[in-house]
Amino acid sequence: MFLTIGRTIKGGWNNFFRNGYLSIAAVSVMLLCLFTMSSLYLIVLTADSVLAGMQGNVNVSVYFKASVSEESILKAKKDLENYSEIKTVDYITKEKALEIFKKNSASKPVILQSLEEIGENPLLSYLVIQANDPNQYDMVGEYLKNASFKDDISWVNYRDNKDRIDRLNKTISEVRKIGLGVAGLFSIISLLIISNTVRITIYTHRKEVEVMRLVGASNTYIRLPFIFEGIIYGLVASIISMLFLYVSLRLSAQFTLRLVPTVDMVSLYLSNFAVIFGMQILVGAFLGTVSSWFAIRKYLKI
Amino acid sequence: MIKFDKVSKIYKDDYIALENINLEIKAGEFVSIVGTSGAGKSTILKLIYAEEAPTDGRVFFAEKPLDSISRRHISRHRRSIGTVFQDFKLLNKKTAFENVAYALEVCGVSREEILEDVPQILEIVGLGDRQNKFPHELSGGEQQRVAMARALIHKPLVIIADEPTGNLDPVSSLEIMQLLLKINKLGTTVVLASHDRDIINKAAKRVITLEKGRIICDEEKGKYKIC
Repeated sequence: MFLTIGRTIKGGWNNFFRNGYLSIAAVSVMLLCLFTMSSLYLIVLTADSVLAGMQGNVNVSVYFKASVSEESILKAKKDLENYSEIKTVDYITKEKALEIFKKNSASKPVILQSLEEIGENPLLSYLVIQANDPNQYDMVGEYLKNASFKDDISWVNYRDNKDRIDRLNKTISEVRKIGLGVAGLFSIISLLIISNTVRITIYTHRKEVEVMRLVGASNTYIRLPFIFEGIIYGLVASIISMLFLYVSLRLSAQFTLRLVPTVDMVSLYLSNFAVIFGMQILVGAFLGTVSSWFAIRKYLKI
Repeated sequence: MIKFDKVSKIYKDDYIALENINLEIKAGEFVSIVGTSGAGKSTILKLIYAEEAPTDGRVFFAEKPLDSISRRHISRHRRSIGTVFQDFKLLNKKTAFENVAYALEVCGVSREEILEDVPQILEIVGLGDRQNKFPHELSGGEQQRVAMARALIHKPLVIIADEPTGNLDPVSSLEIMQLLLKINKLGTTVVLASHDRDIINKAAKRVITLEKGRIICDEEKGKYKIC
């Protein structure tokens, strides 16, 4: 058993090297397929993490009239916290609001000056509400309209990224679809090319195959070297593809960091290294096996 | 050992290679099948080593019908048959030793056994000192002897030789024939297809004559002739 596996792996290994250009063609097309797949995967990962960041930014601020006491605001806060759709409710006092405002306007001395001229704090206390899901803000709006403290509310401000989130969501699902399509297309192309390569290998080894059959080699024994050849194509392609991916991410790092400042794609790649590599090896070996299998079936009539 | 029961073989385009063949070859026999090209000699041999399946009728090998052997077990059936061909079918990039060893390797025999068995069998066919030569360094007769060593390495029940002397000079032909007779004497059944009149007449063994896919003559101690 081990002897057979050892001998057939050796056979596949020899085929791989002796095929020269054929091997290069097979590996290249497989490389293209794997590289596209993993690039798309990384893009989707990046988009996902951008989306997660944006979702954290969506919130609703409820400003209370100046006359409303702190006690009533805290009560409203407690009321809101009872809803399962609401994740957090933060209370920002007048003073805190002023502090934030001053910090945000630090570069605009005119505003700060006019604030000082007013002499008192003109800002209102407010609650910042964050929902579990961006789609739940409509419901939060409904709650506020019907709330017992609705008369205390001065105004409500949606920091609404919802449109942008919807658009991003749509883009991600489009990217996924296109990615699957392109990856599928490349898979089919590499299946065809690898089958062809293996078929030519079988053709160049037809004398050996004939002799093998005559001296009573089992079908498995005849088949295995060609299957291993296919698997080697997959393995080599996935290793090269990982290298390519790393190098191209490194080279484009400056550009991507400007485009998506929140995500470092190189570290995203490194932290997902095992997943991406494993995925590539699986896909590569699978494509190699399937295409060799078909080539042999057609060619050897076994 | 081998039995053909009403066997017909029709290839594509309705080409009839064999028609209603009834034939029995006993264990230990030496049988020559003669006839002109296209008479069906090779087809009979191919049916025996299950390279082809009959269109009609059944072929039995060691009492077992060949159509009952699954595709997976055909390789085992082939190991009980040694085959020798006109074109030797040696692998050019392998030495005589490696060519013979290859037959054992593909069947999962260990390296130790290979190192023990192969030189022995090469000695038997008279190539003890030519083991490390490549086919192109050997004469036609020597190449055919390598092929015979390879056919014998599995200790087969039957040796099938399809025009083994077709590419050889008369002296080498005679040597190959003597080797076949020697193998037969040691108990192996030999089925030989040939149209080499001289060597068949010298052998003085059973001769089956085919014409257009039919047996027209089957004689013990026969001669090469068109009956």
